[in-house]
Parts: sequence; C-alpha cells; structure tokens
Amino acid sequence: MRDEQEEILTMQMDSPEDVLGEADTLKDQLKRMARQNKLAVISAVVILLFVLGAIFAPVLTPYEFDQQDVINRLAPPSAEHLLGTDELGRDVLTRLLYGSRISLLVGVVPTVISMLAGAVLGICAGYIGGKTDVIIMRLADIMLAFPSMLLAMVIMYTLGDGLINIFLALALVSWASVARIVRAETLKLKESVFVEAAKSLGVSRLKIMCRHIFPNCLPSMIVLFTLNIPSAILSESSLSFLGIGIKYPQASWGLMVNLGRQFLYTKPWLSLAPSIAIMLVVLAFNFLGDGLRDVLDPHLKDQ
Amino acid sequence: MKKFLSLLLALAMILSLAACGSSGSETPAAGEQPAEATAAPAASGVEEGLLRAAALYDIKTMDVAQTTDDYMVPMNIFDRLFEVEVQADGTSQIVPSLVEDYSVSDGGLTYSFTLREGVVFSNGSALTASDVQYTFERLLTAGGVNDDIPLEVLGAEALKAGETDTLEGFTVTDDYNFSITLANANAGFIAELTGPAMSIVDAETMAEVSDFGMSCEDTIGSGPYKVTEWVKNDHFTLEYNELYWGEEPSVKKAVVYIIPDASTQNLMFQNGELDIIDLDYLDSSIVESTYKTTYAQQMVSCPRVGLTYMALNANNQYLSDVNVRKAVQMAIDVDTIIASIFAGDAIKENGIIPQGVWGFNEALERPAFDPAAAKQLLLDSGYAEGEVSFELAMDTSASSNLQLVYQMVQQYLKEAGMTVEIKSYDESSWLALRQSGEMDSFLATWTMDYNDPANIMYTFFGSPEKTLIRSLNYADTAVMERVAAASGITDDAERMAEYQALEEKIVVEDAAWVPLYANTHLFAVSDRVESFVPYWAGYSNFYAADVTLK
Amino acid sequence: MLLNIGKRVLQALVVLIGVALLIFIMLRIVPGNAIITMMGEHANPEAIERMTAELGLDKPFYVQFYTYITGALRGDFGTSYSLHVSVSSLIAQAFPNTVCLALAAAVVAWLIGIVCGIIAAIKENSLLDRLFMGFSLFGVSMPVFMVAMVLQYLFAYKLGWFGISGVSDWRGFVLPAIALGWNSAGSIARLTRSTLVEVLQEDYIDTARAKGRRRMGVILFHALRNSMLPVITMMAVQLSSLLSGAVICETIFSINGIGRLAVDAISGRDIPLLQGTILLSTALVILGNLVADCLYSVLDPRVRKGD
Repeated sequence: MRDEQEEILTMQMDSPEDVLGEADTLKDQLKRMARQNKLAVISAVVILLFVLGAIFAPVLTPYEFDQQDVINRLAPPSAEHLLGTDELGRDVLTRLLYGSRISLLVGVVPTVISMLAGAVLGICAGYIGGKTDVIIMRLADIMLAFPSMLLAMVIMYTLGDGLINIFLALALVSWASVARIVRAETLKLKESVFVEAAKSLGVSRLKIMCRHIFPNCLPSMIVLFTLNIPSAILSESSLSFLGIGIKYPQASWGLMVNLGRQFLYTKPWLSLAPSIAIMLVVLAFNFLGDGLRDVLDPHLKDQ
Repeated sequence: MKKFLSLLLALAMILSLAACGSSGSETPAAGEQPAEATAAPAASGVEEGLLRAAALYDIKTMDVAQTTDDYMVPMNIFDRLFEVEVQADGTSQIVPSLVEDYSVSDGGLTYSFTLREGVVFSNGSALTASDVQYTFERLLTAGGVNDDIPLEVLGAEALKAGETDTLEGFTVTDDYNFSITLANANAGFIAELTGPAMSIVDAETMAEVSDFGMSCEDTIGSGPYKVTEWVKNDHFTLEYNELYWGEEPSVKKAVVYIIPDASTQNLMFQNGELDIIDLDYLDSSIVESTYKTTYAQQMVSCPRVGLTYMALNANNQYLSDVNVRKAVQMAIDVDTIIASIFAGDAIKENGIIPQGVWGFNEALERPAFDPAAAKQLLLDSGYAEGEVSFELAMDTSASSNLQLVYQMVQQYLKEAGMTVEIKSYDESSWLALRQSGEMDSFLATWTMDYNDPANIMYTFFGSPEKTLIRSLNYADTAVMERVAAASGITDDAERMAEYQALEEKIVVEDAAWVPLYANTHLFAVSDRVESFVPYWAGYSNFYAADVTLK
Repeated sequence: MLLNIGKRVLQALVVLIGVALLIFIMLRIVPGNAIITMMGEHANPEAIERMTAELGLDKPFYVQFYTYITGALRGDFGTSYSLHVSVSSLIAQAFPNTVCLALAAAVVAWLIGIVCGIIAAIKENSLLDRLFMGFSLFGVSMPVFMVAMVLQYLFAYKLGWFGISGVSDWRGFVLPAIALGWNSAGSIARLTRSTLVEVLQEDYIDTARAKGRRRMGVILFHALRNSMLPVITMMAVQLSSLLSGAVICETIFSINGIGRLAVDAISGRDIPLLQGTILLSTALVILGNLVADCLYSVLDPRVRKGD
C-alpha cells in the first residue's frame, strides 16, 4: 500500500509554485474540509470512538480481558456477551476493546517513528545533496525494493516477537517512502525565493532546514501520516494473522481473526468481529486521509 | 506510438493469462512426469483405489535413522521384524511380520530369529539376515537419531564409537537365521522391534544409492507401498508395491497433501477433497457440531496410548520445592479441561505409565483437585500469595487445543496463588531450550513408541542426562538407577511391580510429574472408505493398508 | 536513451546487491540454533560441530557472504535447514505458482480497476462516481485475509464451484486471484479515474470530438491510451504489494508458493530458505520496476525528448 500512496502523492506534487505563500492556515483548511466533506468528518468521529473505546475499555465492560469461563465457551452473542465468547469463554467484545489498544498503537507509533525518521533523512538528502543524498536514497531504494510484508517478516524473525519489535519492524518498512516524498518536496523548496533569501542572509543550514523547509513539508506529511496509519494497521493484522508478531497473552485484532478462523463457518462472530473492526478503522483513516488530501494538497486544490 | 502501446498492453494481458493457463496445469508435476491431479475439485470423480489424506507439515526425510517423528512413509514402505496388530476388541497384540519364528535363551540375553522366506524389496533384491544386520549397524554408525534400540545389543557402544567395524552381539547364521545378544537382559526387546524406527532396509540397495531417504527412487523398502512422488511442501504419493509379500491392500495409491492449516483440511474434507482427516487439530466444538452430526457414521476413534503431562523443572528456584510441585498437582482441574476443551473425548491420567500400556496401574491415585488446599500449602511453606512464579514455555506449533490447555493451566495456577507467565517459542527454539535443561515448565504429549513401560519411564527418568534434556532435572539418582535396571528384570510380574513402585515414588511422593489426560484420537473418513484402523498407539500416521475402500 | 536504460540497469544491480547484503546481515545476527533445527534435538555435539564446519558457519562473515553470492549467481541458494533439500529446487516448485497467482491477480485488478475508473471518470462527480470511489476505498481497506476467507466460504464451501485449496488447474487460481487483486483494484480505479479526468480536459480530446467522433470512442481510443502511462508504472509498483498479499492468499488457499515457503521458513527458523525466498521476491520487484522504467522512457514522448 505504501507504494501507491507515494505514487499518488508524488504525482500530485508537480506544481512547486503553489506550495508556498498560501494565505490559508491549517485551521482554515481543516474547517473547509469539515464543511465540504461529510465523510471525512464521520470518519474522524469513528476514529475518535475507537480511541475512546480503547482508553476506557476497563470502564466499558464488566469483564477482564483474560477472564476465562470455559464451561461457557464459544457461546453465541447474547445479552451478557454482546459478541459472544471465544474458545476459552472470554468475552469477545472485551477482547475487541482491549485489542483496539494494540491495533491503534500499532497504527500510530510506527508511523510517527517512520515519519520523523523519513522527514529528517528526506530533508537531509534533499537539502544537503551530494554523497549524503546518494547514500540515503540508495538505502531507501533498497528498503523499497522489498515487498513490505516479506521485509516485515524478516525483521520480526530477526528481532523476535513482541509489540515493541512490531513497532520497529513497521517503522523500518515505511520510513523510506516518507523520505522519498519529503526529499522531493525539499528539492522544490530549496529553489524557492525565500530559501534563497534566507541563504543570502547567511542563515545556517540547520536553521533553514528546521525553520523553512520542515514546516512547509508538514501539509503533505499530515496526509501521509493519516494514510500510513491504516497501512500499518493492515500490516500488523496480516502479520498476526500469520502467527508472526503479537503473541499470547496480548490480543490484537489480527491475532483474534487468526484464532477465530477455524470457527468461521460455525461461530462466525469470532473472526468477523475483529475483521470488521480492522476494516472500519482502516476505512475511517483512508476517508479522513482522502479528505485531508483534498484540502491540504496544493495540486488538487487548483481544480 | 500510441497504437504500439495499446498493442503492448493487450499482449501483456494475453501473455499473463496464457502463462497462468499453461504453468497452472504443469505445476503439480514440478519437473517429474505429469502427476495425477492434486486436490481434485469436489465435482470430478475420484480414481478407484485412491486414498486422499492430508498432513499439517511436510516430512523432512523418509529415513528413520534421521527422524523421530516423520514416520508416515517409513511405516508404509518398510517392514519391521514384528508389528502390533489391533484386535477387534480394541486391544493390541504383537505379531511376527518379517520374522517367522524366534526363541529366547541364555537368561533373556540371546534372541534367535528365523526370517520369512521369499520376501523381496520393491527393486527385487531379497530380504535376508544380513539386511537386518545392516539395519542395526547403520542406525548406530550413520550418525542418526534413532539408535536407542540397537544400542542395547552387545558391542553396540564399541561400534558406535568406531572401535570396531561389526556389531559383536549380532550373528548371521545363514540367509534366514540370525541371533542377537543383548548387553543386558530386556524383557521389552520384542516390543521395541515393532517401532517404526526398526524398519528394515536393504544392504545391497544402500550400497548403490546416494540419496536414501530423500529421493523416491533411492528409498527402497519391502512394505506394501513404494513412494513414487514427493513434491516438497505440496504432497507425496504412495503406490502399491507389486512385489509385496503380504496380502494386497485395498488402497492402491495414497496421496498425502501438505495442508498446513487444520481449518483448511476441515473444509477440504467437507468439500469431498479428502478421504481421511485427523481431527486432533480441530476444536472439539467443530467435532461436536459438524463431525458428530453430519459424519457420525464416518467417525473413527482410537485411544491414544500416551498422555499429555506437565513437566516441572526441579532446578527452578520455586519448583525445586516438593510442596510447590504438590500444589501445582492439586491446582489443576483436569476434569474441567477434559469436559470443556475435549468435550469429554479424553481420559484423565494419574501416573506416568498411560492407560493401554502394559503395566498401567489402575490403583494409582493422584491428589484431588483442590485449589484451596494448594493455596494453603503454598502459604504454609512460607510463600506469599503470588510469590511463586515461573515461566510456562509454549511451542507455537502445538495444536490449538493444547494451546488452550496452556491458558487454562495458567489460570488454575493463578487461582492457587502462583504467577505463571506463558511464553511462546517457535518449535526449534522451544526444543533447544528444553534440551538445555533450562525450561521452567511446559506441557507436552508423549505417545508410546512401543507397548512397554520402559519406553516412557526410561525416556524421562532413566538417567540424569535423560531427565536433563526433558528439562525435568529430577534429582533422585537412586530412583534413576532403578529405572535403568528395571528393564533387566526377566520376570514380567516383578518388572511391572518395580515400574509401578517407581512411578508412585516419582508422581506421588516426589510430585516430579504432573499427569494430565490422554485425549481420544478422532478421525473421520469419507463415504468412499469402508473401514479404517488407526495405528495402535494413536499416531496421526497410519498404515494405508489398514484402510479398506468401498 | 540506451545510456539511460544502461544506467537504470546498473542502479538496479546496486540495489539488488544491497538487498542481498541487508538480508544476509539481518538473518545472521539472530542468536541462532540453526544447526539444531537442521539436525533435530537429538543430534550429538560432534555431529553439530561437523555440520557447522561443513556449512562454513565458522568462517568470517564476508567469506560467508561471498560464498553465498557466488552460489546464488549459479542458482545455488544452499540447502534448506528444515526440509533438507536444495532451496533452489523448492523455489523452482513454488515460483510458477506465485507468479501465476500474481499475474492473475494483476489481471483481475486491472479489469475491475480500469473499468470502474473509466466509468467514474466519464460520469465525473455523479452518484455513480462517488459510489465507485467509495467502493474502491472499501477495497483498499479490507484486509486480504478477510476477502480471501469470505470468498473461500461462499464460492468453495457453500456453492462448491471451486476447490478449497490447491492449484491443480486454472480454477484453483480464481478465488485467490480475486482475493489478491481486490486491494489493488481499488487503487487502480482511483488512479485511472484521476488521470483520465485530467486527460479528458486536454485540447486534443476536444479536437477529436469536434471531428465528430462519438464520445465513447474518443474516450476509449484517445484518452485511455494516454492515461495508461501512470497506470503501467503503478502496476510495477503493485507487484510489490501483490507479492506481500500473496503470502496471505497462499496460506489461506494452501498454495505451494513463495509466500508460503517464507512463512514456513520463519516458523521452521530455516535461514537459507527464508533468504532465498525473500531475495527472489525482491529481485522480482526490482526487475518489475526496471521494466516499467524502461517502458516508460520508451513510451513517454516527454521523457524521450528529455534525453
């Protein structure tokens, strides 16, 4: 997924003259999006609901997330258990709520890491140029050559299972595309009038990169951020589905689908509930990202 | 230019379709001559005499010298000197196979055998006493993993160490007569010879071939089948061996597909793509709701001669205390595990020697399930609530049912005031950790190799080395010496009494072993199958000749 | 132009070597018990030592890497630790399956994606457009395993139209290909739509229309052709995500392909097999991108002029 987004984004960033000098502030742009794009607003609300669910999971459910009731195992949805119980009699809704903590974290944390790393490397590559550029970009080429799932699998193999390692693996997988996009932006900004002006005033390189280039990369980074979160969530769920990554006793949605899969035809709620949860969150982030792109992306704004 | 582009696009699409069409049909052959359709869709008819089965993992080798569990092919393409035959009443009995007659003399030390005449291998080479001798010597010298049994023969240690070239205790009289002298008397010797590990190979063939165990052409046996195709990670095929000396089996050809996922196997069976399915890896709720209803007439059940146990490492800070181990024994509610996870299809085990094994002690009692008493015992022994903590190591390749039992055990121990963390390891890391003797605790299932208590007693408590590689680290060397010596007792009653005494000491007094259950091994067969008799010990592997097609 | 292609080939080679080195390093720093995996838990210490020497695992890192690379160039990827046969023979069996699956999925994605994209572009901003674009986001948002499981349930289990698993004939590829292509179809539809919308505003389209050609014909023969370039490039990029998704599809439909080999290699801690499968898949992606790049420079007049 990361590659398509990159493709779309780079294609849409062909017009350097629009990047700067926008009178709109970020706030105005968001306000406009809220007015124009109802879907994006609904998506934001859905995401907010999931976040609240994850935070207040202990309050929202009377059950512990690993509370077993084996006699009552694999019970169908009922008033006590809205989504039924799993193979050890644990409440599925409870596990879904607690699982959203992991899935949301897995969406956000690696994306933040990869955005930061990608931005720093991309700005350095673009602004400093020369050998730095070559080294960073070849490294990015190498990372981008891997099919992301397989790369994540190798990294998980090397690091071992566990949440922190998933964070690292997904961050390592996605920094390169961020770096490429940020580099492209930087190259355009480098030629701009105000950077030239700053240069002639003797402002230091570091200052130019931090003060002038980075802030101007932000709009596309925000779009990229919202679009990279769902792909991280999907990657984690795929890894967990294969049994690589999150291990007992933690429960992520992908792992729940994996465990519930053998019951798909007899107790479908076990695998469908987490599948639908994944889809909803990913969809919400995609719609939101789409909406943000419409208002934040200079190229589309022209039309 | 633009036309060129659209042409190119069209061409690419056509090519890709064509590529799929052609290599799609070639795929199963994978370099060999075109194979029969793999996993034929439900609609098409099934070839007569064909049995379609599935396995979760591919085999690593077809050579028993190199494996202790990939027995499906060796069981079917080789013969043993003796076999175990399951009787109509479900009991099993040792019957001669390649051996026609035998006698024991010299205080149980020397066995004289007469081989069946006229047995040939599938390449026409005759099976003679020197082949049996070669089989024994090869297990010792090929650097393999299955040398426990030939090691009992006189002079085996010297041969293994390379001090001599021949096995001193093995004497070939003529083509059909030979004798074996043991280093120490062992009443279970004949039973041991029934194990798949003791499959007889051909000395002449072995001298010629280079890839025994890996290449189908090179892996020659005398059994009812020969292996004709092995596409790694996809399937292997057994076909009737025309030169087989015994009765012609009903199954002429068996294909075992590698389907690494139990739920896919389940769907394939229901879709008519499999003739036999091992239900061990499916959840009991699916067995109850689907198999015991729709396929009630097609279920085959077989007691598992073996048991699932919990091992406690006596080197662990807490588990070294016999009272902690006793508390663990009392804390686990085996009855509920059986009722919930196995829907009643399991029996509770109380000792080391499982039900169905010679010498099983029906009178042996385990401490009753009593979480309150377990908790109290820990407090009385000076441990605060939650202080006793250890790791429960789980092999992620274990069946989903066993993984559930892990979680239940953790919960039970928690309720009794112990802090137990389940840690997942992939199979090889798990094995390596266990072999190092540093695994705190684990659950595992032992299925008997041959029907004698020596098999399980010696494997777990035979020597400090044996107990170390199972991460038990049992400390009482006197008991271990008695376990090792017990196989030499020639009087059967006396030998069984000794094993039972040792079993009671280890389980009840030392609480060094937590017996759990033996779950019934369930299979289902398709309506093409008339009857199926699983291997006596309840292996997933089976003799294709024990399946009768309609 | 030739110079340009030569440069790209060289770049691809550099990336490939970098990829090989990276995989090699990542897999070597695992605290390993590779030999125990290979020889089973009962292996004795001398045998382990012998095997370590035989595999050259006692040699320094760069020697091992050199041996591996020169071997790989000859088509020798070593011996699988868990399956005890040469990795190249395993890959040779699995590779055609994966390639067919990926190609079939690409065809599915292409057909669905382009058709939906065209319709959406023609009816820009209509209800149908919004519906298709919303739907394509759904496609992108559904986990591959979910689509695969639902298809398997409906068309193989309930309706019995296809086998549950295996790829003995072309029918075996249908469900996995749809499951795999589903995701890409969404993004292709969106891309087709956006490029087509743009092209439709160009002058020559108006000219063609002015000449009296029918609207539909104009779209199919002029606009579509010109909007295909980004879509071609995207297909190469898609190859990477198709190979990622193939891992899941092959697992669910029990297809003996590269992805499943990689999963097996991970659970069996089989370094040579993992190394071989990843290296090959990555090489395939690099090759795909190279071909796309070259095609692009051959086909796009702007790039050609730029030379």
